[in-house]
Amino acid sequence: MNLTIILAVTVVLAVVSFFITRLNKKAGGFLTVIASLFAFVGLFLLKGSIGGEFSIFYFSFKITMVGWYFALIMVLAYSMTSFFNPFWMDKMMYPGSYNFMYLLSMAGTIGMFFAKDFITLFIFWETVVWSSTFIIQLGKSRKASYVYYVVSAIGSMATLFAIMMAYSVSGTFVISEAFAGLSGGAAIAVFFTFILSGLAKIGIFPFHVWLPAAHGNAPHTFSPVLSGGLVKMGAFIAFLSVTAFPAYEIFSGMFKVMGTPFPIYFLMALGAISIIVGTLMAIKQEDAKKLLAYSSVANGGYILIGILMLDQVGFAGGMMHLVNHAVASAAAFLAIAAVAYRTGTTKMSEMGGMIHRMPVTYIVYLVAIISMAGIPPMGGFVSKWLIFQGLADKGMLFLAAAAFFGSIGSFMYVFRPLSAVFLGQTFTRDLKKKEVGFFMMLPMLILTALSILAGVFPNTILRVITEIQASVGISPVTLAENTIVTVNGYLDAFRVFIVFGFGFTIAFVIFIVRRKSKKVELMDTYTSAEFIHTRELLHYSSKFYAPFERLYDKAPDTMKLYKKIAVKIGELGNLTESLFYGHKPEKTVFWVMITGIFVVIIGGVV
Amino acid sequence: MNVMSFVYGFLVLLGVFVFQTTLTGLNRKVTARLQKRYGARWYQQFLDIFKALRKDSTSHGWVFDFGVIMALGGIMATVIFIPVAGFEAFPGLDNIFVISYLLAVGMLGMAMSAAGSGNPWASIGVARALTNMLAYDVPLMIVIFTLIFAFDSSSLSEIAALQQGMGILGWNAFRMPLGGIVAVIALLGMLGKKPFDSFIAPTEIASGPMVEYGGKHLGFMFILHEFMTFIEVSIILSLFFGGGATIWEYMLKYAVLYTFMNIISGVMPRFKIDQAVKYFYRVPLAMAIVQGLVVIFTGLGVTLWF
Repeated sequence: MNLTIILAVTVVLAVVSFFITRLNKKAGGFLTVIASLFAFVGLFLLKGSIGGEFSIFYFSFKITMVGWYFALIMVLAYSMTSFFNPFWMDKMMYPGSYNFMYLLSMAGTIGMFFAKDFITLFIFWETVVWSSTFIIQLGKSRKASYVYYVVSAIGSMATLFAIMMAYSVSGTFVISEAFAGLSGGAAIAVFFTFILSGLAKIGIFPFHVWLPAAHGNAPHTFSPVLSGGLVKMGAFIAFLSVTAFPAYEIFSGMFKVMGTPFPIYFLMALGAISIIVGTLMAIKQEDAKKLLAYSSVANGGYILIGILMLDQVGFAGGMMHLVNHAVASAAAFLAIAAVAYRTGTTKMSEMGGMIHRMPVTYIVYLVAIISMAGIPPMGGFVSKWLIFQGLADKGMLFLAAAAFFGSIGSFMYVFRPLSAVFLGQTFTRDLKKKEVGFFMMLPMLILTALSILAGVFPNTILRVITEIQASVGISPVTLAENTIVTVNGYLDAFRVFIVFGFGFTIAFVIFIVRRKSKKVELMDTYTSAEFIHTRELLHYSSKFYAPFERLYDKAPDTMKLYKKIAVKIGELGNLTESLFYGHKPEKTVFWVMITGIFVVIIGGVV
Repeated sequence: MNVMSFVYGFLVLLGVFVFQTTLTGLNRKVTARLQKRYGARWYQQFLDIFKALRKDSTSHGWVFDFGVIMALGGIMATVIFIPVAGFEAFPGLDNIFVISYLLAVGMLGMAMSAAGSGNPWASIGVARALTNMLAYDVPLMIVIFTLIFAFDSSSLSEIAALQQGMGILGWNAFRMPLGGIVAVIALLGMLGKKPFDSFIAPTEIASGPMVEYGGKHLGFMFILHEFMTFIEVSIILSLFFGGGATIWEYMLKYAVLYTFMNIISGVMPRFKIDQAVKYFYRVPLAMAIVQGLVVIFTGLGVTLWF
């Protein structure tokens, strides 16, 4: 398969889907399924041509292992989510533009990961940013897309600046050569500005504000793509900033923390802060989608720390966490979307007991959160295990403390939608609701199977990662048949799974041989001799962790700080406007002259 | 991995069940004496479990049953991984992260089943239990992290073996005294002993997660509790008190540690859940970090320092 064909077909189908949706909404939705599945299969077959280089118009591409890996994850998220598209067309305000943007942004991500030079990368990157901005706008809130765009734009502009600055030294835009010859202060400036767009995209503190806004308010069918896919573009930039920009070599003479140069350690510390902030904020959300968005912030922290370690174990963990989080988070968002499809809400306090109406969706969500929380036998466990082992090897105590906090805190926040949405009392309004249809169930089941497979046979994914590690010149993680071996540990995920199955079987047998239990109604519970007949009143869902939330409810809110800054900037703008654009023209002339003189004097002095 | 491993695993389960249930029975007596009561017979715990298994039960839907099975299954799998006096049914799988996260499968199953009962008391209990876990686990994991860094191993049996043969002062609890104290306090939290037992507070939230269980479900919960106790005490025993060179040494040390926990619990009042979090994030967390920094930067404790 040829990359040109994949890109061309997806872009053409994007345009076609726009017009087809005008004629028949559902057909347009199905076209996105076909196009994204085509891209997925095409990309999968592309593995054979790794190493090839070619150009289309001004764009030049190079097919690399790491690009293939990222693109596959991304298109997996797109193609699985696209199964939901046909069923949401009626609820969409502009279904035609949605489908168009959906496929266009997918084409953008594919092109970006295979870019050979920075100009190609930047153009495709911006295609994704712009098209996804317009999709987010189609959801619940217009403001969300402003937040998303502003944060993305800050990142993009900084990265563009870094690319230009690097160009002025090396004279080339080719990714592998552009950063050659940088040193000293210029290197630090380029490093931090270049990675800024990555940080903004992964949602690293203090850029994390866009995730809850955008994930929480985007159309239900786009949130899985945002969290499972687009966030990983940032990880790609982070990857480039330690490999294409050889940060460990350039900063090797600098002050080191536990063997890591300070600029890199600083970013890892930001990752650790993101884990803590994401976890604490996720715990207190009342909206299931916002909760999952904050969990993406926390998981982004793990990915950033893992990738920046650029070593044998932690790096493999970070790269593997990309897949695991993409799969788990897409599945979790899809499950919430499926519930929202039936109930029309994502607020946790307005639902309950959906397990009795939607058992399959429940299983999907359960497996997704087990993986997200890093519990065996799902994929998330293996990648977090690798990150922990990597951190323990280097003795990075504070990063590890944050990682542990996020890992155990994740039990708290992932359990909350499970308990509030799926378990507990079914609301009277929802007693007649049905499970979603097979076509919507299918992608969720595939993602669930992938989560389990990644946890039972992690080496399938890790083998690809060893090739990536070899391609960037670090020693690959040691793999035996089914086991992963690190300096300070050893994991045989398959045997863990078998033993878990063994324990489960024993428990099941004991359960079955005992007398069958009598089935009773959910309302038939112990209520301390109160008579409660309202299902809704017997469901504990809002302010789930109230005693814990109280401990940090006075903590400063980043979004409020940004809002205050925005108000101040607005006031400054008003002041300027009132001075320069008043009713009297002579006033304007006066201030322009004063400013002009002032500028001239300052210029003269400097 | 062969058939014998599974047979050994099954025998480990049986042995652990008998041992821990007996110990629980004896400790009921100890607690009773602390409170100036006569106390139940030492085998009362067995009677309770088998009686519960024989009785009729009620079920609140499939997740209520499934969660119980998943909980007991996950916990039993974890027990099989625990090395006892150097013996492992499945050699090489006693990685500390595997054990502590596989334990979470059981806990998740239990939480799921409890919340699936539809009783708000159960959900409140689960919320408190998870908060409690966040409180004790972070300081404990930092100490465990320090151990892994110090000994370049995350295998329970290896870390236990490294402490043996040097007498009592070779135990990590004495090599790294701050870490040892943190581990013991965290063990109180893990076991749900007072002062960290607000999630099962019987008089306040009607036993929390346990509120809806009866009959065989309750029997399952009793068995699960015995296994969970064994896992938690064993982790701390292997990491900080040198495990045991022989099975008898192991059992003796285990009995002493567990009884000690019980005696502390017998004379303590109860923390509110937010007080527990505040407590763990003040004293033990600070101690764990100080211990970690000492080990990482000075190496004190890795080699014997006295």
